[in-house]
Amino acid sequence: MSLFAAFVRRFNIFFYLAMTLAGLGALLTAGLFFFALRDLPQVPDPLGRIIETPPTEIFAATGERLMLIGGREVVPLNRISPDFIEAVLATEDHRFWEHHGLDKLRTLKALWITLFERGKIQGASTITQQLAKNLFFSYRRAYMRKFRELLVALQIETQYSKREILEAYLNQIPFGIGAYGIEQAARSFFGKPALELNLAEAALLAGLPKSPTRYNPYRYFERAKKRQQLVLARMLAVGYINAGQAEAASQANLQLAPLAAGRPRGSYFLDLVLNDLEERYGPEVVYHGGLKVSTTLDPQQQAWAIESLQSGLQKLDQLMGISSTDEFDAPNSQSHPQGALVAIECNSGAVKALVGGRDYSETEFNRAVENNRLPGSGFKPFLYYAAFEKLKLSPTSVFVDKPISIPVAGAADWRPQNFGREYEGPMILKRALMKSVNAIAAQLVERVGPDVVIDVARRSGITSSLAPVYSLALGTSGVSPLEMASAFATFATGGVQHAPFWIQRVEDPLGRVLEEHIVRGQRSLDASIDYQVVDMMRGVLTTGTGRVVRRAGFDLPAAGKTGTTDNFRDAWFTGFTPTLSVCVWVGYDRGVSMRDVNGVGITGGRGAAPIWADFMINATSGEPAREFTVPSDIHFASVDPINGAIAGQWVQNRVKVALRSGQEASTVPVQSADQMTGKTSTQQVDEPSTQTLDQPAIEAAEDSAIKEEELPPE
Amino acid sequence: MTDWAEPSDFKEWGKRMFALRPLLIFILISAIFILELRFDWMERFLGSYLVTTNLERPESGSIWEKSHQTRTAQQTLEKILTDRQALQREARSAATFTQIAAKVSSENGVMLSADHFRQLYMSLAPTIARDIISPLDLLELVSTGRWHRTYFEKSGSGLTVYLLDADNRVLRQLELKSSLLSQLESGEVTLTGDLGELPNFKNRIYTADQFFQSLKSFHEEARRSMVPHPDLLLAAPGQIVRVGISDETQSGFIELGFEFIDGNQRRVLIVQGQEWAVWRLRAHLEGLERENAAGSTDNSKEDWTLQ
Repeated sequence: MSLFAAFVRRFNIFFYLAMTLAGLGALLTAGLFFFALRDLPQVPDPLGRIIETPPTEIFAATGERLMLIGGREVVPLNRISPDFIEAVLATEDHRFWEHHGLDKLRTLKALWITLFERGKIQGASTITQQLAKNLFFSYRRAYMRKFRELLVALQIETQYSKREILEAYLNQIPFGIGAYGIEQAARSFFGKPALELNLAEAALLAGLPKSPTRYNPYRYFERAKKRQQLVLARMLAVGYINAGQAEAASQANLQLAPLAAGRPRGSYFLDLVLNDLEERYGPEVVYHGGLKVSTTLDPQQQAWAIESLQSGLQKLDQLMGISSTDEFDAPNSQSHPQGALVAIECNSGAVKALVGGRDYSETEFNRAVENNRLPGSGFKPFLYYAAFEKLKLSPTSVFVDKPISIPVAGAADWRPQNFGREYEGPMILKRALMKSVNAIAAQLVERVGPDVVIDVARRSGITSSLAPVYSLALGTSGVSPLEMASAFATFATGGVQHAPFWIQRVEDPLGRVLEEHIVRGQRSLDASIDYQVVDMMRGVLTTGTGRVVRRAGFDLPAAGKTGTTDNFRDAWFTGFTPTLSVCVWVGYDRGVSMRDVNGVGITGGRGAAPIWADFMINATSGEPAREFTVPSDIHFASVDPINGAIAGQWVQNRVKVALRSGQEASTVPVQSADQMTGKTSTQQVDEPSTQTLDQPAIEAAEDSAIKEEELPPE
Repeated sequence: MTDWAEPSDFKEWGKRMFALRPLLIFILISAIFILELRFDWMERFLGSYLVTTNLERPESGSIWEKSHQTRTAQQTLEKILTDRQALQREARSAATFTQIAAKVSSENGVMLSADHFRQLYMSLAPTIARDIISPLDLLELVSTGRWHRTYFEKSGSGLTVYLLDADNRVLRQLELKSSLLSQLESGEVTLTGDLGELPNFKNRIYTADQFFQSLKSFHEEARRSMVPHPDLLLAAPGQIVRVGISDETQSGFIELGFEFIDGNQRRVLIVQGQEWAVWRLRAHLEGLERENAAGSTDNSKEDWTLQ
């Protein structure tokens, strides 16, 4: 047999073998096809149905949209930049207009690489296949899944035009940072509609869907830029652009929109809203129901709140000698103190601004709501109110600031101390609150009883669990900044309590009202006693532990109270004008001590009050000076802060106090309550205790360092 | 497959190579490949077949899950809204506060217009209405133009009514206690004091004897219209000493005040009688009064109309 004959003979055998195998393959494929067909998903008709889910929209009080959940901002092809369309086609599927859902040459090439080049896996999905995958299948790699994906792609190609397919694809691809579809992406990344994208921008965006996280230009700009150049190179190779255009686009300066433009503002606030909505309606309705939610948020105040908190915390970092890392790495919640700010409209309870941490992208834990921290002396106003109401005391009542020991049944005596263990002797209650004297607060709570203080706190709006112990009055039960802002708003309104709220109105997609908030106030505190406490808290800002607020330039009528906890773990300032109640908290998440570079502790006055002042200066700018309403039975007197006697002009440090009907300032020095009652379980301690500072509220470290200032007349 | 034997010459080679069968096979296979590459007929064929089976296939996959979730969400919303609208509709058709109280649940309040509240308020007997809110206070609210809507909410077994401005701020909060609602239901209200203190009644106050004597002269239907809830009077402790008829007519009703004495305490129980019936009763009582006045020239009989 000749060589040629041998070849033909073998070819003949191979041919029939191949034919048999092909036949078997065809049979197998047919079997596979019918197997895959069993649970192949139905394709919606029309394809536009993919975007039928109505989006849930959340609006600010001003009507500005804060967030869009679900749904898509769908645009037709003629509203998309042709550069972007070409960039996508060049990158993802340059034979899109020619194939019928399967690019056979590319698939064979990919198959060859995957099978014969070790360690390499080549993809060859067409745009239609990608659309099928995005609409129906998981991202899990599996051959059967790929086969089903291919079958659906074939059906889509048969059922719909190429333009419909491309439009559906471009309106649903993910670009990262929460942007789905080209219109949303164009607005998020470049602050412009999809139609206005230029070649450079289009090429950058077209490169993102491959790996939105990996090529996120906000985080990895260089990587994203290289990907953009790859896209431009593909466009050049395919012939969509010429070399000059590619070069120009490659060199073009990309102006990314500020990240906030593409992300919802006030994310801590939005979390609060979403959690609330989920509790009321369930996640399905919230994320797929197309609700229209009007909230109470004031975007301007929210922006100021974020700015004030962030800049205040940066200053605190400097004060504490904490160096910030490079600009791309956010301050770590472990190494840097955190903070929270809540602003509430006093006469309604509407939350106007809420920030639950220094950076939402770094940590989503909402410290404004979920973080119950000890309020320290910030809790004293409830104690003073309780004392005025139950014991009929007045701001001129004289108590002695002295080391004390309070017997506790079944436990060791409670020995609360002032900061630095300094005691000033007799003083009126107004001065005691202004200077946040723990020894006098302890005497008051012993006489009033913790249950009465809890009752006042509850009536004011504190909802957290409160332990009925003496130290409660010094803030040993955790509360949230939201509660504190709300409770102090009750003081601001003359004793009318409004429950805080953040959802104003909820409508369905057709605008039918599902619920609306009724702003109802309930008188919970006596207006006159309330005013006396407010008047005392005004003193905190003028000459007390919160005077940094006035130094910072905030000069509207306001009142407030600082709070600092044991070992400087928490620093608070809660204050209010007649219209706005704001609470600021700063501290470490893990509850460690905050000290400056010299080892001096960070108090409410140093850590939180400056942030409060900064925010209030902005939030109330342009507002007229509004005084707190003075009840008709209130009269004023100037008294000596030491003995409570009426002070003439010659007394330099006299204090103006608010007195109710039946309360008159004495013309002679007043005896302390101890002296008047003659008996109390409170024992004077001769020597300051040497035990460590166990009281939760230590006030005003800087005040101790600053020599006592004379109290000027108010 | 037959065993292949080598051709013996070129002629035989040629015959075999250009035989019909290999040519046809070659053409067929080539055609299949070329047509597939050119026209994608296999894809089209499969695609077309899949289109025909589309409706029989399951609605599965992420897009369908989302669609189902959307549908469920819409159904949930629809239910909430339907319930709410039904409640609103029933509340709007309510003619009395009692009917509204019956509709409102602790979870769902109802919102009505300010005008609707005024209508309900106007339908009340003045004595009861004043007990809820003074008409002058209401007038003041109306005159400010700030009162837009009214929200009714269940509070215990009673009803809390919020008069709201356009921003849903409460202008005035009213409490309709369960006892008051019961009185509204029965049409009675109890006041402490005596009839002489009530300006509506002071022109027509009769002794209990005279009132019941007069009442007895009417047939049963008329009597039921005059005093629709005698059980309330029976249930009240003490003894009826005087009965007053109000000067004012209110939506087809006239108030009757029954003064009770119970120990040292006097109180007035007010019920509403139908206007037409009470007019007849009043005319009868006035007739008796005139007869008595004519027949009592010697003052042998006490003037029983007490002022």
